[in-house]
Amino acid sequence: MATAPLRSPSLSERIYRELLWLYPASFRRTYGREMVQTFRDCYREERERDGTWNIARLWGLVLSDLITTICVEHWKTFITFFKSLTGLEKELLMTNTLLNLDVALHTDIGRRASNEDCMTSYVPEDPQIMAKKGALFVVADGLGGHAKGDVASQLAVNTIRDTYYQDANGDIPTSLRQAVERANMLIYQKNEELLRNATSDEQKKMAMGTTCVATVLKDDKVYVANVGDSLVYVIRAGQVSQIAQSHELTTEQLRKGEITEEEAKKRGLTNMITRCLGDKPTVEVYVASETVQDGDTLILCTDGLWTLIEESEMCRIVEQYEPQESAKRLVARANENGGPDNITAVVVRVSLKA
Amino acid sequence: MNKAKREPEELLPLTPAVFHILLALADAERHGYGIMQEVALRTDGKMRMGPGTLYGSIKRMLADGLIEESGERPDPTLDDERRRYYRLTDFGLRVAQAEARRLSELVHVAQFKRLLGGAESVGGA
Repeated sequence: MATAPLRSPSLSERIYRELLWLYPASFRRTYGREMVQTFRDCYREERERDGTWNIARLWGLVLSDLITTICVEHWKTFITFFKSLTGLEKELLMTNTLLNLDVALHTDIGRRASNEDCMTSYVPEDPQIMAKKGALFVVADGLGGHAKGDVASQLAVNTIRDTYYQDANGDIPTSLRQAVERANMLIYQKNEELLRNATSDEQKKMAMGTTCVATVLKDDKVYVANVGDSLVYVIRAGQVSQIAQSHELTTEQLRKGEITEEEAKKRGLTNMITRCLGDKPTVEVYVASETVQDGDTLILCTDGLWTLIEESEMCRIVEQYEPQESAKRLVARANENGGPDNITAVVVRVSLKA
Repeated sequence: MNKAKREPEELLPLTPAVFHILLALADAERHGYGIMQEVALRTDGKMRMGPGTLYGSIKRMLADGLIEESGERPDPTLDDERRRYYRLTDFGLRVAQAEARRLSELVHVAQFKRLLGGAESVGGA
């Protein structure tokens, strides 16, 4: 796999990237990445040619171009908005939002003896199902200390997918929560069964468990349900936000006010989680939803990825590459940084056409 | 948008940026920076477009059906970053031809008015 070195952007590029915020949001989201790329190419050409004077000349051109085109793009956006208000472009308003997804999945064993991560992606082909239930993405991390972590993560992923789509309920947060709860129950029952049949103390310790993060994309909304420390990042125009709730021990204690920020910093992240699927007959599932925008990228990942890559680096990779290449690079980068655990990434680029 | 029914002449005259982009794409599909390089090469560096002008024009040309995206791939002459390529549509080609004819007729008028000297000196630019 050819992996180019990931370079850090020049000061000029960083300034240009910030200046793009002055454009209308829709324009920035559609062309921002290409504009930064083109600026970078021009900058490299000028720098190679003859240093400072040419860079100053480039900035002269770019600034005058920015001022003019920012005004033009805002004006055009205003005109479109005005037309839509006055009914001149009714057909535009009447069209349903069309959600298009570019999805890539990638997993790697890391330095472990086996891969206990599991993932799935389901984008219904039937437009009616898509309209009612949306597309589902699930990542699960079978717990390393437990035996059969891979069985647990596989069971979680399959159960969540099947239960979610078998449920005709259009209330997505409830349907998603119930799917995760059912997965918990099934894994718990398997554990009970194992325990009953156990003949030695060693076997009694063999209970299995898994984290899970399930995400549904429907219309302009993303819904998330999670248990454990597999997370979801949303990257929008250079900004990263994590929308699941991490149940890693330090993070959870800090959230509950059981430890101070200083204590949390001192201890750092642990490899312990406060809840998982399969441990108890019931589990508290975190459920949330957010609005998505055209051009957003989602990364669902296990802790094997997010503990090894800075958010800024995640952002740089997905802004530079398409999902397929991004997923590969994210996993490769985590491996380069040590990759002690299994590493899994599901990358989804959202395009919303009005 | 009834692109099929439109006549190329309806879009004339084109802005210099749009015509230059059409010319740059007339013989090959190119990415944004490739278009900039081609325009600079063909005009001896006189026509310099900033990224805002380039992508603002691309946005409207896509909406007008003059060009289309032709996928993303790395440019082997640059690096392994993926770039979005654009190419001319049939309608875009007809619009470019119509604009070229319109400009050529204008040049003939300029010649006739003796702004350009003899006919033989025209067309060498």
